[in-house]
Amino acid sequence: MRGTGLDIRFEGAGVSFGARTALEPLTLGLGGNRIGIIGLNGSGKTTFARLINGLTKPTVGRVTVNGRDTGDEKTAGADVGFIFQSPQNQIILPIVKDDIAFGLKRRGFTKAEIEAKVDGVLARFNAQALAERRAHELSGGELQVAALCSVLATGPSILILDEPTNQLDIRNRALVEKIIDGLEESAIIITHDLELIAGFERVLLFHEGRLAADAPAAEAIARYKEIAV
Amino acid sequence: MQSLYVEGNSLMHRLSPRAKLLSLAALGVVLFIADNIALLSIVVLLAAAVYRAVGLPLADALGRLRPIFLTIVVVALFSLIFNSWHEALVTLLRLTALMLFAATVTATTAIAEFIDEVTALARPLERTGWVQADDIGLAVGLVLRFVPEILGRYQAIREAHTARGLKVRPTTLLAPLIILTLRDADNIAAAIDARGIRRHVS
Repeated sequence: MRGTGLDIRFEGAGVSFGARTALEPLTLGLGGNRIGIIGLNGSGKTTFARLINGLTKPTVGRVTVNGRDTGDEKTAGADVGFIFQSPQNQIILPIVKDDIAFGLKRRGFTKAEIEAKVDGVLARFNAQALAERRAHELSGGELQVAALCSVLATGPSILILDEPTNQLDIRNRALVEKIIDGLEESAIIITHDLELIAGFERVLLFHEGRLAADAPAAEAIARYKEIAV
Repeated sequence: MQSLYVEGNSLMHRLSPRAKLLSLAALGVVLFIADNIALLSIVVLLAAAVYRAVGLPLADALGRLRPIFLTIVVVALFSLIFNSWHEALVTLLRLTALMLFAATVTATTAIAEFIDEVTALARPLERTGWVQADDIGLAVGLVLRFVPEILGRYQAIREAHTARGLKVRPTTLLAPLIILTLRDADNIAAAIDARGIRRHVS
């Protein structure tokens, strides 16, 4: 079963750092279950994604997720999970199950609830064997799974994955692709791995801080190649 | 990411984190009251024996202490410049005993336990309205989590110097080490925010 879909709205939202514009003001809505984001390095992809999670605040306009303003400290990112480019930076505690439990403890769940949620999320990815493992001993693919479990245990309805196949070998890449394909949650995937988003109905292409294309994968990728090469 | 925690079943592993932290605090007070060299030497030997019982291979056990011990030696040498040799030796012994016991507590307490215990101990401070106990626990946990990362970065920068045929100098090591550490700190802070870990602290 897939998630009920995204409800993300950019209302003239843009980001500038002093004189430098990271993302020009943008108005658009995101629906559906899978959105790909592509573009050259420094094109504004990650800034766009961080706005959705509230990690970056818009300097103009606003962004809402499921009707909630991401500029609100208390509710920002409540529905949005974020998997970073380097999952090892995302894992805070060395033992996988401790790390998954850590985010839950802070949300006030009881010990029994936490244990059930940790077991549940590991079982969901058939990753029970990772529970007692130390993060630094995991392969790239296993690290991605551990990071996913940590984020999904808290129950976000939307997941943002920032270059999830970056630096993975063929086997681990295939593992991550399979997991993404099977995710129940709505997913926004930022990637340079064009194969990963080849089947997506909607792909956003960013270039020099602007939205350069908003189209099905084949069209957006073709436009990207025109720009990039 | 590496961890300072060492798996094992020594007496110190079996002690509760609270008992260990309170013992460490009490030992600190006692050490700074005492100035008898014979007594302090015995405490150093006992602390060394307890640390040795953690189960770390000798080279690893010594390697972990090296940077701190060198700092202690520098402090003792400064003390020798301005004070008597007795005072300098007392400083050396006090800090060495404290270092050994603190290293034992760190090696026998998992970061998750540290965070839970420090948070619980800091809870009464919330009544002042100045601090959040969860933040204090998280801060202590992050310090422990970062130490091996920083040492790993230091080794990587050293190797990069060697690979490029550059002489390893503190002046050329420190700048990249600080920059990379700050960048990692930013990434970890973003990850903490993204996971809503601080947002949900009430």
